[in-house]
Amino acid sequence: MAAEDADTATFEDIDWDAQGISTLGVSRAGLAELLSYLGLIAAFVYDYTWNTGPLVFRWDVLSVEWLFIGTLIAIVFHAVIPLSQKPRLRAFYWQRFKKNQVAVVALGWLAVMFVVGVLGPLLIDPPTTQFTNQSVPPVGMSTTVGGVVKTGTWQYPLGTSAKGQGILTLVVYGMRVSMEVGLIATIFSVIIGSAVGAVAAFATSVGRGRIDELLMRYVDVQSVFPDFMLLLLLTYLFGSELWMIILLFGFFSWEGIARTVRGEALQRASEEYITAAEASGANMLYIVRQHLIPNSANSIIISATVGIPGFILGEASLAFLGFSDPTTYSWGRTIATGQVNLASAWWIATIPGVFLFLTVLSFYYVGESLRDAMDPRQEVDGGGGL
Amino acid sequence: MSEPLLSVSDLETQFHTDAGTVFAVDGVSFDVDHGETVAIVGESGSGKTVTSESITSILDTPPGEIVGGTITFDGMDLTTLSETALQDVRGKRISHIFQNPQNGLNPVYTVGRQIGEAIRIHDHGDPEVPVQRQVVDLLDKTGIPEASARVDDYPHEFSGGMKQRVLIAMALACDPDLLIADEPTTALDVTIQGQILRLLEDLQAEHDMGIIFVTHDLGVVSEIADRVVVMYAGKVMETGTVEDIFRNPSHPYTRALMDCLPGRGGSMDRIEGSLPDVTDPPAGCRFSPRCEHATEACRSGDQPPLWGVDNGDTHEASCVYYDAEHDEGELAGGEGATGGHQ
Amino acid sequence: MKWYIVKRVLWTFVVMWIALTLTFGLLVASPDTGQTKSVMSCSASGGDAQQCREQYRERQNLDKPITERYVNYVTNMATLNWGWSESRSQSVMAAISEAWPYTAQYAIPVLVVSTILGYGLGLYSAYKPYTKADYLGSFVGFFGISIPNFWFALVLIILLGTHFEFISTYYQSGIPINQGWASMANITQLLIPSFVLLTASLAWQMRYSRAQAIEQMNQEFVKVAKAKGASQWRLMIHHVFRMAAVPLTTSFVSSLLAIFWSGSVIIEQIFSIPGLGLMTFTAITEQDTTLVLATTMITVFLAIIGNLIEDVSYTILDPRIDYGDR
Repeated sequence: MAAEDADTATFEDIDWDAQGISTLGVSRAGLAELLSYLGLIAAFVYDYTWNTGPLVFRWDVLSVEWLFIGTLIAIVFHAVIPLSQKPRLRAFYWQRFKKNQVAVVALGWLAVMFVVGVLGPLLIDPPTTQFTNQSVPPVGMSTTVGGVVKTGTWQYPLGTSAKGQGILTLVVYGMRVSMEVGLIATIFSVIIGSAVGAVAAFATSVGRGRIDELLMRYVDVQSVFPDFMLLLLLTYLFGSELWMIILLFGFFSWEGIARTVRGEALQRASEEYITAAEASGANMLYIVRQHLIPNSANSIIISATVGIPGFILGEASLAFLGFSDPTTYSWGRTIATGQVNLASAWWIATIPGVFLFLTVLSFYYVGESLRDAMDPRQEVDGGGGL
Repeated sequence: MSEPLLSVSDLETQFHTDAGTVFAVDGVSFDVDHGETVAIVGESGSGKTVTSESITSILDTPPGEIVGGTITFDGMDLTTLSETALQDVRGKRISHIFQNPQNGLNPVYTVGRQIGEAIRIHDHGDPEVPVQRQVVDLLDKTGIPEASARVDDYPHEFSGGMKQRVLIAMALACDPDLLIADEPTTALDVTIQGQILRLLEDLQAEHDMGIIFVTHDLGVVSEIADRVVVMYAGKVMETGTVEDIFRNPSHPYTRALMDCLPGRGGSMDRIEGSLPDVTDPPAGCRFSPRCEHATEACRSGDQPPLWGVDNGDTHEASCVYYDAEHDEGELAGGEGATGGHQ
Repeated sequence: MKWYIVKRVLWTFVVMWIALTLTFGLLVASPDTGQTKSVMSCSASGGDAQQCREQYRERQNLDKPITERYVNYVTNMATLNWGWSESRSQSVMAAISEAWPYTAQYAIPVLVVSTILGYGLGLYSAYKPYTKADYLGSFVGFFGISIPNFWFALVLIILLGTHFEFISTYYQSGIPINQGWASMANITQLLIPSFVLLTASLAWQMRYSRAQAIEQMNQEFVKVAKAKGASQWRLMIHHVFRMAAVPLTTSFVSSLLAIFWSGSVIIEQIFSIPGLGLMTFTAITEQDTTLVLATTMITVFLAIIGNLIEDVSYTILDPRIDYGDR
């Protein structure tokens, strides 16, 4: 203990209060998070065993929505709460982030997409097939479809599909799908990737290089396989339910995060405070969770943000090719249905595509600006050489 | 007196950053002669590296920009030369050695090829002698054992000290008139440091080069320098021969630096306070916020001019205590600081 | 280094074997939709259901014990005997050899053009960072990676196809046979598909090469080379690009393959180009398991070989690599 006192300055990075809770204990936020997950699982079990009707008044929660709620809980506890508790850090990142004005606009767009995607489907009835309103153009336009002149009305501001479904409704439901795909798949890839990366690095630092070698060799092998073709094969073999597509996306795209986390953690693991934590009796899992992963947080967030648009595009592409869940409304599927009517009803294929394009573009811009704001290596620019 | 080899006058270099304009070098003047070693001394952030990199404009522009002053070298003003004309000067007439030998060599080329690059760019040396031969001679001269065997090795096969020798060989490839060495020994361990300093001295004697030696290490300065320029926050605080500076440090900042030397007063105390904000430098003497002798006169106006110390024409200090109205003795009271009061 | 390459090649075979085993496992684990379909169509044309099933199982070697099937599967794959395609009524190899020229005719030119342009523009962007040209470049880069290629293709069809008569909005596979692969008619009908694929791959390479080049430009050895008197051109080509080439090669083949495979499936489906992508797509919709597996294996094998090429070129490009490490 005396040695500890003498060297406290070097141990700044360790939260000694948290250390006191022992290796098995969890903090209050951790407990709340755990309870949230348990509540979610209980609700899920109830819904699937006893409950027959919709769970929450009109909302019959689908399998993918359970995952989505779990993802949102994780985001609240690991992004929203920590950020709200650190106003100075928040102000610092925001200061740097907002230098890129396009990224600020992009962030606004994503916020709208997120809110409308989450709440919209709760408020708007799902799109229904209505043969009386087939291929109506967007409001203010007229067109001739099959010899009949049709004029757009405010009832369907963005027009209707060949089945008479409102394009606006389809777009809103598609937002939900895209947000679900992007966020859930990312959370899964982050969990698997950071766990594998941190364990690999930790194994090396405690002299178990074999485990590291084995894990990273597997990462190499997996990253060689072309994801898209693999997904085509797997959805062909096992069906194309949305939750499965999402999990497959998450499961086949964590290699990059694993490599990043391993690289960062290897640097950290040799640092003194890890050795100190080890010496003070903290177990392996604790060190990995409390020190190695948080210290790689910036890199994880950066690669995660860049991963999201890839998942969204991938799911939309699969849906466009016809590999989608018939119970959900992916933008890709709506675009595919419009392909047949391209000449007569251009709006069916193009309008959802505009949303898809802008959402993906926004994620890339936000990701880029986040990297500029969070990557310490970027600071070399400017004042260097003094 | 004949023209000096290099004459820097009123040099001003700025960096345009998101946080504002950084006045990295703000009116710096000094001369270097053939065969002479001038040390530029200062803490990190004092502008010494920027000064050295402004001479041949190798600093990154943007964000850096030389906004004022002249750099006269062999009758040319280097600040007005075109990029292509500067390329002829760099490496041929004026060479650089940098602080970190680890990253100074391109890892994918052999050291021989990289030294040869300088010779090839400038078409230097006897065209009859193959470049490879000249490179081996250079490596030999800088004390690399078995030079002819090592010339085809890659940088990662060399130790830090050996890499610095390679970089010195590269800098000397075209017999430059002036060598700018930016902390060339900082990243090396002490025994290697001594060897590299001696090597530089030998090579200087052989080639009659001028050397600008940038460092924060006063110990090294006392070993190698003929004259010293002390910089702080982009300004020259004091300048003089190495004897002037070490026998009679005159500016309070120089004295504070001396106090940090081991064996001088025994305390390793850092100078109180921290470097001023370079985007918004304090009025008056840049050092005044940290100076225990600062008066009202120090905190207003601009940096004081360089006043002569001891009526000598080699020794000058930018401190109001040395102007006509003050008595230097007032400062000497602070001599106790160097005497060690702990 | 020789030993490293030998070991690396051996490792490639190990990975291929793992890939084959995994796909075999998937095949056994999954319900065989192809069987149901084939039996249904057979009995619909008047055959006895039981007999049809027997025939199908015999054709696909399903009547043998699993170990024998596994050995047969691996040896057949290794000897390029890839089985019989039910939906096309021809051997898988014949189907592949029919289809690949249709893909190669646009994929290879796009690959070459996008690599040269992409690296050139990326390097130029890095050479003049934060200028208008750089911002334009980065916008084009963002645009290219963000735009869904299936949607982009449809938009181009609407915008161009309806206004310019000479640009075909779908592919006529008879043209290359009757008028030649390099005929003007064949080239014009490939314009939109190639352009769509080009945007994606160009953007990716531009962004990546710019990022790598900028990273290298901040290295100390670039400053040393500048102090040596090297010209801007020399700095960019000899030092920055040469160094950036090391990380660039490590992901070049695999990333491009990923772009090209997903791109070719989508583009060939939209324009009805009878290449490998459309073959994969129809194999899936027709539930022709043999053909689906074969097309997947092509991509996997190409990816593995691409990875080998990357690793070997990495060892050639970077003298620092430690061979004892692998």
